[in-house]
Amino acid sequence: MNQINIQIKLGALDLQVQASFANEVIIISGENGAGKTTLLRCMAGLQACSGSILVNDKVWLDSAAGFALPTNQRGLGFVWAEEVLLPWLVVAQNIQLGVAQEDKAWLMQVCEQLEIAHLVKRKPAMLSTGEAQRVSLARALYRKPSMLLLDEPFSAQAPDIRARLRKVLKNMQQTLAIPLLMISHDAEDAKALAQQHWRMREGKLIISINRHSHAGGNPHFENIGE
Amino acid sequence: MTESLFISVQLALITTLILLVVSLPLAYVLAFQSFFGRTVLEVFVALPLVLPPTVLGYYVLLLIAPDSLVGSAWSSLFDSSLAFSFSGMVVASVLYSLPFAVQPMQQAFRSIPTSWLELGKVQGMNMGQTLRHIILPASKGGVLVAAALSFAHTMGEFGVVLMVGGSIPGETKVASIALFEFVEMQQQTEAAQLALILMGVSFLMLIVVYSVNRKPLVGGS
Repeated sequence: MNQINIQIKLGALDLQVQASFANEVIIISGENGAGKTTLLRCMAGLQACSGSILVNDKVWLDSAAGFALPTNQRGLGFVWAEEVLLPWLVVAQNIQLGVAQEDKAWLMQVCEQLEIAHLVKRKPAMLSTGEAQRVSLARALYRKPSMLLLDEPFSAQAPDIRARLRKVLKNMQQTLAIPLLMISHDAEDAKALAQQHWRMREGKLIISINRHSHAGGNPHFENIGE
Repeated sequence: MTESLFISVQLALITTLILLVVSLPLAYVLAFQSFFGRTVLEVFVALPLVLPPTVLGYYVLLLIAPDSLVGSAWSSLFDSSLAFSFSGMVVASVLYSLPFAVQPMQQAFRSIPTSWLELGKVQGMNMGQTLRHIILPASKGGVLVAAALSFAHTMGEFGVVLMVGGSIPGETKVASIALFEFVEMQQQTEAAQLALILMGVSFLMLIVVYSVNRKPLVGGS
């Protein structure tokens, strides 16, 4: 089980989030400035905040005890909303960044699933926005993370490829058995993927649980309050 | 003449190499860390930009004098004096050109997008790995500028090397001092030749600096 209880004041934003989740998919939506990205950054340890984070019974943050697990020890798969690729490395090198042991077969598998296998030798400057976004996603998946934190990972993808990417992401999440937190404004993402749907407003969560997602029936969200 | 040029180039090369090693951690902490005394450290690094070279030379002489801590340690280790020697000039040159190496690196480090540094953390890299795989490749241009400026500035030293090195032919008489002596002794041909060579070296180094600065400082092949 994973539990978060974090608070942070940043300018006009007063973020107060309390939630628990299994190794499942959580879609986060809400208006600009509601604190979605800040929440992901707090989870990653890129933004200092107070409170506690517990991931698979491991403490990531316990500000009362003055403890914060450094970001580089959290084993994350993180995708920024904007493109973050190192321009002097080719795609394959970007994907393998920070992973000591090269696994060619796994690399090709990830690249094929994300439809970028033909791009592995290119520099980022030669990629379209959509391709660059999929490379970022591949980099997050290649390292077999303990948690996926994705900030609008499909924003630059065409509708037909989005559907395929959802399947890939769902498969990966289930194979790795990890929590996946994904910011998205696309109702289709929530419908196809979400076990929990967090709507954020002014730094607070309104959590809905998708009761029927495991039974395969029509998704039905039920508010469980603020 | 060739002897003094050889000494100058040797001094500039050794100084540049030492400066690259010394400046890296300095530029790193100045670019990325805030700590007590940061401004004082920054001022110390920048001091040679405004100090009269003779002032710096005076303090370096005090530092490396045979009866000083550094000087006596040196003579007991190497059985030679640091003052009025080539090694003494290296010490002085490193201090004198320090801002020319630290500042371009510091600026290059600072202009790295924050998200690239965060990427290193997210991908599980420690400080050394981030330095090697992200910071240094992203700052290639800044490091090259630091090397070129250090080299050119050391070639152009006069006051400091004169005070610390003393103009001993074949050992500490560098090209800029040789030029001064040619002019003093009215050896116009030699003076003209040497001046032209020193001018050319400076010109080349600045060509490097300006062509690097024109391109984005970041990576590329």
